[in-house]
Amino acid sequence: MKKIINSPDNYIKEMLEGIYIAHADDLTCVDGDLQVLVTKHKKEGKVGIVTGGGSGHLPLFLGYVGKGMIDGCAVGDVFQSPSVDQAIALTREADSGAGVLYIYGNYNGDIFTFRPAADEVEMEDDIETAEVLGADDVASAGPSAPGEKSTRRGVAGIFFVYKCAGAAADKMLSLEEVKRVAEKANNNVRTMGVALTPCTVPRVGKPSFEIEDDEMEIGMGIHGEPGIRRGKLEPADQIVDEMLDKIVGDLPYKEGDEVAVLVNGLGATPLDEQYIVTRRIHQVLEEKGIKVYKYYVGEYATAIEMAGFSISLLKLDEELKEYIDHPVDTPFFKQV
Amino acid sequence: METSYLINLLKEISDIMAENKDKLIAMDGIVGDGDLGLTMSDGFKAAYEAVEDGTIADAGKLLFAAGKAMANKVPSTMGSLMATGLKQAGKDLKGKESLEDKDIVQIFASYEAGVAKLGGAKVGDKTFLDGIHPAVESLQASLEAGESLTEMAGKAAEAAEEGFKATTTMLAVHGRAATRGEASRELEDPGAYVAALIMKAFEKSVA
Repeated sequence: MKKIINSPDNYIKEMLEGIYIAHADDLTCVDGDLQVLVTKHKKEGKVGIVTGGGSGHLPLFLGYVGKGMIDGCAVGDVFQSPSVDQAIALTREADSGAGVLYIYGNYNGDIFTFRPAADEVEMEDDIETAEVLGADDVASAGPSAPGEKSTRRGVAGIFFVYKCAGAAADKMLSLEEVKRVAEKANNNVRTMGVALTPCTVPRVGKPSFEIEDDEMEIGMGIHGEPGIRRGKLEPADQIVDEMLDKIVGDLPYKEGDEVAVLVNGLGATPLDEQYIVTRRIHQVLEEKGIKVYKYYVGEYATAIEMAGFSISLLKLDEELKEYIDHPVDTPFFKQV
Repeated sequence: METSYLINLLKEISDIMAENKDKLIAMDGIVGDGDLGLTMSDGFKAAYEAVEDGTIADAGKLLFAAGKAMANKVPSTMGSLMATGLKQAGKDLKGKESLEDKDIVQIFASYEAGVAKLGGAKVGDKTFLDGIHPAVESLQASLEAGESLTEMAGKAAEAAEEGFKATTTMLAVHGRAATRGEASRELEDPGAYVAALIMKAFEKSVA
């Protein structure tokens, strides 16, 4: 294991201490618990939006806490869910009278954290809550039947759900309306990733899986969950073509649609390569007659030091465009 | 009925789980990690002990407090699911200080709904729900027919037992049992057995 750390056991604690130091004007923790983080710019009467999950995905989740986006998050150890009590403390802090919307990825550990927390604050504090579960990874499972619970994992596409719901909440919409917007974004976003190298959880000390130097795995999850195809590494354009084929066909995104595109580095893939990928995405979407309204390129949801990237598409209508354009100011992400 | 009836009910459930601890461990050892007997006996004991002093008059708050104690005691998957059932019943009965038969039926309907919501399973997936669901249906039918609580409970316990036995025809889709595929079909589901035990405890509590 080759990492710039002091000790695996202090990895999360020292990372969080750094975050509070660097963003002292904007972020604070709840009841002295570093793992429960909220914005210092709480807006009275606004629907609170909170999230959470395991650490190891920065800037997910901490980096999106701020103006125009979300109000707080609870993080667990690397790839581990936070506790129910942390989620309860977070919810109480994030509520300012208009209720709280949970937006988190579709993982059992996180479901078993946030649902019991919601039960508790509804019973004991009369805080109204709602939830939307990110389930955008088309490689993780087949589509679910209408009304059925999705079995897909949530990955980088949750960024778009935060973006749209965060804007709707900032415009002081009701909990029901913010939830509707979050669901609309969630239903229209699809993602697929590719990994070139594994990642190492500090306290485990070994890579999460093995992959040969000349191989890639299409469809791998952001904790190293198995993908849909492992093969020899191919040129960037070919990789993009295969991924986009799956993504575009899934919703499906059609000629004449307008989309926002998120190219997301998984932690060890340079921006140079991400822009090489972006170039090809543009060519393919143009060929298909799909218009790109806005690009986001960079690290948005990582898997520690995994090499690889993901592509997310969000189909837009006039309402979602307005929310995509809404200004954001968080420690990680700014949009004017 | 007084709220204190719920304390008796939780006592019966706690006792029946303790009596069946070894059987649950053996059943779960075949399809899971074998700790279900401990989770259920420790969990329901904690639920009962949290409210046995009788200081909570509100039926909803009592059930919720019991669920919370259980969740803290046994934070495993099945422990969380069973605790959530109690908490959901607590939410739905909030404000009630005396219980009619329909409220008793509501407890079990809420229990099923809470577990289904958290776990995301459906009836037929070879889980706890396959034991509790037929029992709740039976209770609702009995309520409409105006049967006595004793009669209702007897039929519901029977329905849960039948539901549990029927899990040997189902394919597991959740948990470790699911990794066995078709071979999981003939196995009894320990979760559904827990449901059958809960309903048997209910029958004893109104006998």
